[in-house]
Amino acid sequence: MTKAMHRIQRKNKFLPYLLILPSMLLFSMFTFYPFLKTIALSFFLTDKRGNPTKWAGISNWVRVLSKETFWKVIAITLEIAGINLVFTFGLAIFFALLSSQKKKGGKLYQTMYALPMAIASSPAAAIFLFIFRQKNGVINSLLGGANIGWTTEMPYAMWAVCIMTIWMNVGISYIFLLVGFRAVPQDLIESAYLDGAGVWARIWHVMLPMASPQIFFVLFLNIAISFRSFAQIKLLTGGGPANATKNLIYYIYENAIINGRYETACVQAIFLFGLILLFTSLQFALEKKFVHYQ
Amino acid sequence: MSYPLHLLPQHFTLENYQAVFAKVPLLLYLKNSVIVCVIAIFAQVIFATLAAYAFACFEFPFKKLLFSLVLATTMVPGEVVVVTNYLTIQNMGLTNSYAGLVLPSLISGTAIFLMRQYFLALPKEYKEAATIDGCGEIGYLFRVAMPLAVPTFASLAIYLFVQIYNQFFWPLLVTHENAMRTIQIGIAFLVTGDVISFGQILAGAMIAILPSVLVYILGQDYIIQGMTAGGIKG
Repeated sequence: MTKAMHRIQRKNKFLPYLLILPSMLLFSMFTFYPFLKTIALSFFLTDKRGNPTKWAGISNWVRVLSKETFWKVIAITLEIAGINLVFTFGLAIFFALLSSQKKKGGKLYQTMYALPMAIASSPAAAIFLFIFRQKNGVINSLLGGANIGWTTEMPYAMWAVCIMTIWMNVGISYIFLLVGFRAVPQDLIESAYLDGAGVWARIWHVMLPMASPQIFFVLFLNIAISFRSFAQIKLLTGGGPANATKNLIYYIYENAIINGRYETACVQAIFLFGLILLFTSLQFALEKKFVHYQ
Repeated sequence: MSYPLHLLPQHFTLENYQAVFAKVPLLLYLKNSVIVCVIAIFAQVIFATLAAYAFACFEFPFKKLLFSLVLATTMVPGEVVVVTNYLTIQNMGLTNSYAGLVLPSLISGTAIFLMRQYFLALPKEYKEAATIDGCGEIGYLFRVAMPLAVPTFASLAIYLFVQIYNQFFWPLLVTHENAMRTIQIGIAFLVTGDVISFGQILAGAMIAILPSVLVYILGQDYIIQGMTAGGIKG
């Protein structure tokens, strides 16, 4: 081997690491390090600036997990996830089936159904507050001047949070399902039609099974997204009334940023990660069982 | 707004827009949002391209491990690490700065994944031809692979724009000063502030919605491509 080739080879040995370096540095600083630090801080007492002051063992965990509010918050987090799952999925699959055939004007519907995806949560909250507000709100006016506190009374506050969550999420689910349905081979649908399959039979026996990877993905995506609902709670209800719409993210925000209880927030953040991990593992386990890829 | 509510507005007016621009520094908020988006998008496109090139076109020790670390980052939602990231930014004295706003958004597993797909799909003959013509690894990246990647860059950039422009949680934490707020946080304070009329709040909301909706409508095919690329096999 000549000297020049040696040099190229040596250079190439380090080149890939050099290429990855900036990304890895950033990941280390803002994903890996904070993740490990979150775990660590959950075992310490912290000062006002979030520095660990004293080893606390599992006492933070015991304190957080033995609080009744915490379990109420978990129940609300799961409740929002469940409601969001059912309605978002239902609406998204309905719209996706409606617009799955490529027709004239189809693009317009596609844009319309998916558009909420592009709208940020805080202006969306402004619009929903306009709809939900007690005095002269759109809904109360439609109800003939009703005086319902849609964001301040239960069970309405929960409905308000869920309605906005569903509205925000339908677009993403719709797009994934649409991509799934559009990928179903046209000749498969046609041969089912020639064999005398009606609309429902074609949907049930052809479209849905063929799009099962997307359907499955969307189901779990909705759980994951709704665990992260924050802006709608912060801006519509502030977690109220009496903590009735407070989910885990909002609770973490409140503990860390408003109350400065970083160790408590860290315990809850790890719990949140565990919850997400649990559903992700469930997704992988069930995927092997139920989803068949072509 | 008078009761009863009308299905169609009664009088057309732009007064609310004039008023909200006069009372709230919406243009400043928009400028902040755009600066954050531009920095984050440029950083992600460049860093992700470099990393993806390494993962797609080189063989090296610990490649599998390093790539699974990249994939692992997509398993940790930003919300889980948001508290400690906030502490990091605070301890660095970077609250209320563009650096504080963008630092956690300079790279993402999704971006690397998307760019890697692109490199893997690139015909091997290009690389061979470039090598025979005396083009080195870096030369191939800059002179062959990147110019061909422009559509993928566009797809990634549009996808990231909608995502970063619409960010809420992080900018809410790291900006306390009015002058550093992004448009989403500015609107959030209008909503909870209760100082100005609802017509003006909605006018502000429309201004905030406009850029991302326009980008979405013009680039929706790219966004869908970006969204579904990393998502599912199948």
